[in-house]
Amino acid sequence: MSKKNSIKFTLIRGITALLIALVVAFVLIFISAEGADFGEKIKNSIAALREMLVSPLFKKNGNFSSRNLSVVLAGTIPIMFTGLATCIMFSANQFNLGAEGGIMLGAFITALVAVYCPLPGPILMIVAILAGGAAVAIMMLIPAVLKAKLGVSEMVNSLMLNYVVMYLIGFFMNSYLADTSKGITQTYPFRDNSLLPQLVDNGSRLSWGFVIGLIIVVLCWFFMYRTRWGYGIRMTGLNQPFVMYSGLNVALIVILSQVLGGFLAGIGGGIEMLGRYNVYNWKALPGYGWTGITVAILAGNNPIYVPLAAFFMSYLTQGCSLMSTNANVPAQMISIIQAVIFLLFAAKQFLSGYRQKLVVQSAKEERAALEKGGNK
Amino acid sequence: MSEYAIQMKAITKVYPNGTMANQDVDFNVKRGEIHALMGENGAGKSTLMKMLFGLEQPTSGEILVNGEPTHLSSPTVAISKGIGMVHQHFMLVPSLTVAENMVLGMAPTKSGFMIDYKKAVAITEEYSKKFNLPVNANAKVMDIPVGMKQKVEILKALVRGAKILILDEPTAVLTTQEIQDLFKELKHLKEEGYTFIFISHKLNEIMDITDRMTILRGGRSMGIYETKDVTPQEISRLMVGRDVVLKMEKEEAKPTDEVLRVRDIEYVNEWGKKMLNKVSFSLRKGEILGIAGVEGNGQKELVDMLFGFNRPNAGTITVNGDNIIGLNQRECREKHISLVPEDRMLFGIASDASIEENLISDRAGSSEINNGPLFNMGAIHKMADQLIKDYTVLCKSRTQKVGSLSGGNIQKVVVAREFSNDPVLIIADQPTRGIDVGATEFIRKKLVELSRSGIAVLLISADLNEVMELSDSLMIMCGGEIAAYFEDTRELSDELMGKYMLGIEHQTPEEIRRVCHE
Amino acid sequence: MNILTTDFFFSIIRIATPILFATLAAVISEKGGVTNIGLEGIMMMSALFGSLGAYWSGSWFVGLLLAIAVGLAEALLMGFFAFNLRTDIILAGTAVNMIGSGGTLFLVKVITGGASTTNLITKAHQIPSINIPLIKDIPVLGEVISGHSLLTYLAFLMVILTFILLYKTPLGLNIRSVGENANAASSVGVSVMRIRYITIGIGGILAGMGGAFMSMYYAMGWSQDMVAGRGFIALAAQSMGNGEPLGGMLAALVFGFAQALGIKVSATGVDSNLVAPIPYVVTILALVVFALNQRRKEKKRFATALK
Repeated sequence: MSKKNSIKFTLIRGITALLIALVVAFVLIFISAEGADFGEKIKNSIAALREMLVSPLFKKNGNFSSRNLSVVLAGTIPIMFTGLATCIMFSANQFNLGAEGGIMLGAFITALVAVYCPLPGPILMIVAILAGGAAVAIMMLIPAVLKAKLGVSEMVNSLMLNYVVMYLIGFFMNSYLADTSKGITQTYPFRDNSLLPQLVDNGSRLSWGFVIGLIIVVLCWFFMYRTRWGYGIRMTGLNQPFVMYSGLNVALIVILSQVLGGFLAGIGGGIEMLGRYNVYNWKALPGYGWTGITVAILAGNNPIYVPLAAFFMSYLTQGCSLMSTNANVPAQMISIIQAVIFLLFAAKQFLSGYRQKLVVQSAKEERAALEKGGNK
Repeated sequence: MSEYAIQMKAITKVYPNGTMANQDVDFNVKRGEIHALMGENGAGKSTLMKMLFGLEQPTSGEILVNGEPTHLSSPTVAISKGIGMVHQHFMLVPSLTVAENMVLGMAPTKSGFMIDYKKAVAITEEYSKKFNLPVNANAKVMDIPVGMKQKVEILKALVRGAKILILDEPTAVLTTQEIQDLFKELKHLKEEGYTFIFISHKLNEIMDITDRMTILRGGRSMGIYETKDVTPQEISRLMVGRDVVLKMEKEEAKPTDEVLRVRDIEYVNEWGKKMLNKVSFSLRKGEILGIAGVEGNGQKELVDMLFGFNRPNAGTITVNGDNIIGLNQRECREKHISLVPEDRMLFGIASDASIEENLISDRAGSSEINNGPLFNMGAIHKMADQLIKDYTVLCKSRTQKVGSLSGGNIQKVVVAREFSNDPVLIIADQPTRGIDVGATEFIRKKLVELSRSGIAVLLISADLNEVMELSDSLMIMCGGEIAAYFEDTRELSDELMGKYMLGIEHQTPEEIRRVCHE
Repeated sequence: MNILTTDFFFSIIRIATPILFATLAAVISEKGGVTNIGLEGIMMMSALFGSLGAYWSGSWFVGLLLAIAVGLAEALLMGFFAFNLRTDIILAGTAVNMIGSGGTLFLVKVITGGASTTNLITKAHQIPSINIPLIKDIPVLGEVISGHSLLTYLAFLMVILTFILLYKTPLGLNIRSVGENANAASSVGVSVMRIRYITIGIGGILAGMGGAFMSMYYAMGWSQDMVAGRGFIALAAQSMGNGEPLGGMLAALVFGFAQALGIKVSATGVDSNLVAPIPYVVTILALVVFALNQRRKEKKRFATALK
């Protein structure tokens, strides 16, 4: 297929998927909408849908709200990291679903360092975040090594680890770490010098973590497309026997991709912690890992598109959340819409008929161009 | 009713990618005969039979079954017309019992929904007895020997009412004793009125069992013959003869030091069949040593040993004096061994990656294309563009996906990579199979050029034209052994080669030992 | 502390029940060549609709049927994406799980007008327990195996039925052949696509029963994330049980044991957070042991071939 047609197809396919998701959203809103009769329900549904699509960036009076924008941007921070983690693991064809537990463990370890380590100045912040990353990288060694050496499914193991992480953190919180002077289970406050500075001071919690995220996106892209290790990861995902035959170490690549994915999820947790909170109080898995998978699928496993995909997901999440406060549609609608988009983007045969048409058209054009060139 | 069970008239098959697998092939089989379909790999036998079994449709031509024009649109239709096929790679489910495999898709039931397993066994035993094909109905397929698996396949076709059976290289996996048993059974079935199409390239078997034969070469029929009227020599000439002789201009080889040294290697595969038997040879700098032979005679196993995919049960292999047994592919490449793999789509390339990415896979860590931790993209682009130019890869740019190139250009990408990493030994396994004439000629010239520059080249090819024209000296493999060695290929005739390839003749151990250059 | 009480063994069976349903679903799916990681989400959804159905109709039976129907529908939808639209089966399953965790909560809020759990099941709508005559009077044994939920008995009955389905019926023959060698199956006219739909559908029905058990017996009503990874554990139980119904049952009982033990231990005052992860850790360990064992067997097989 020609490049032009290829882009055209990608665009049309993406837009169609989003439109379908929008229709699904509308149906769901309609189901939950209040109203005496059909007409009123429709009216309310449209209002709610508008709320969902518009309110993340605009005020009630229709003016653009920079504060709203910063809230959406702040929401991209954790899912950018889990998205990147998933990109790298999926690129190597490793279906590791542990970014969920990973970001929680990273957040927890970072929080501990931030509370208990008397390190000076910004060093504490850096050490805390890196410690979070390192902890998750080590955790991911479990599914990674078991996959590389024994062929055990990394998928099941990483899922199990998510639960183990959640409960063990709960145990440590309850037994040793909780601030007993508080009514809810949370740590003592982080040391002040561990907190990530805010990018804008409007209460949106948009911290410098966002900028760090963007920098790491670029680094990840460089890693994936400009280094031998990223190259090995991508080739392993495309054709593993080829990689082995070429003399690259497949087992090492399998391990590297998951450990690195774990590291990214881990620092993502740490950055989210120090940028948004001043105590650790997560009790359950945060869900960022699953959204990260959607982000990776939307980004086609290419790190450079991760911010865009994360923005989209954060926007939708924020939209759903605002809609739930203002229009009484539960915010969890996001997970259904997310699943629909996710499924359609991942479906190889979705609009394949249209694709075939474009392929044939391209082939004809190429032939025509060739013949024309031949006549000259 | 027609005298013929099958008539295929003027069959032409062009695959979507443009390969012409069959061209104007006329093929007929009389009722109650065993008809051989012969030809080298790639001669078009499989395609012709796939059309007969409904797996492929002819581009043009007509198929008559029992005299009636028939549209064989699927295996189900073929089965209903009484055609059965015993595939070379058995279509059996290993964890099911023989009886279960027999009745798959047509299982007898009792009280409506439960399998009547006893009846399945009874059917199996009934057919087994009736056709004198002893099988163990209650054994799991994974536990039975290959010979019995084949019997199950034949019975499977018979129980579905097949009167015409296609046997695709039925003897390839069998031991001598099993082959003899099979032949006895086939003769017996023939007397019962069954018709067989027997695909093979083993001459002695054909002479032994068939009534008539059709020989294919390069997708065309070389005619239909009565087996009793032709000699093995004639057959081998018809089968392996060269159509067009592409003359290679090459200067005299001046081989120097020994590079590859293989001594007495043996290998028994996981089914217990001996695939390599005391294979010894030496390959020197500056020469091309060809390995000719019908496929499946140990060449694949040998290549696997030379590139770390497998290890022999006995024997030694060294490259420039260093042992290479037990090394992995990376370590083999560190010894400067290059491999042009037989299965280029599986091992040779990642088809969704760009040409450039495919060109650097074996040197991704080398200092030439890395700047510290980063790729030196300038160097990579330059190298890729240079290789694309040097190897005349026809493409839009270095970023084009390899999978979108033609077969010939894909192979050029593979050889560009394998030839450009300073090799001391190049193993070229079927380097030009299935690619266009231009690319073929280019790759052959390149191989000669490289050998003359002092690289040792081991060429494995089923294409006689290729081995004879390219090789300075030549071995022929047959039955896991070196059957012959010729120091000079110029004196060789196709006919003589055919005899050694098909096992009609075998050199003395002393003659063969010359390839060790001791 | 004496843990080996009849109560304890009774609780093993009770706890193992939903895992057993999901494991059987995984066993059948895997036999047909389909790895269904969406079982978790299917169970969540079925659990929700089971409790709602019982509440609406006032009948546990209707609730159960609704749970099964929803499980089936979701499995077939997943099949549609995986088989027809060729979404990777792992990703299709992941999407089903997303809907199972967040989508259920959405529906609950919509349906109940804002609540985030359904405490809808009263004792009257609960799946009934059954005291088996005669057996219930046997000392010890009677206390352990009598008095369970109807679904528990159904689950163990399903082990036998699954075995019969897979090994004694033509459909089972087709399922096994499609999973093992789809070419062999299609070469004799078995429709691979049809068999795969049937396989994933049966998995959906079984997972539906497991979901119903969760919200209509194990707990009184639905709450968020109540399935808590049982669908994933089932995948592990499947492979530990060597892909067989009976082996899967034993694996499910091992998990039941691990969790029952955890509950016992936490009753002594140990933080439940410390014992709750036991089944998940057991899963990882079990997979490793299983893989090592497989590897040893392979080596042995190869060594025999060499002789």
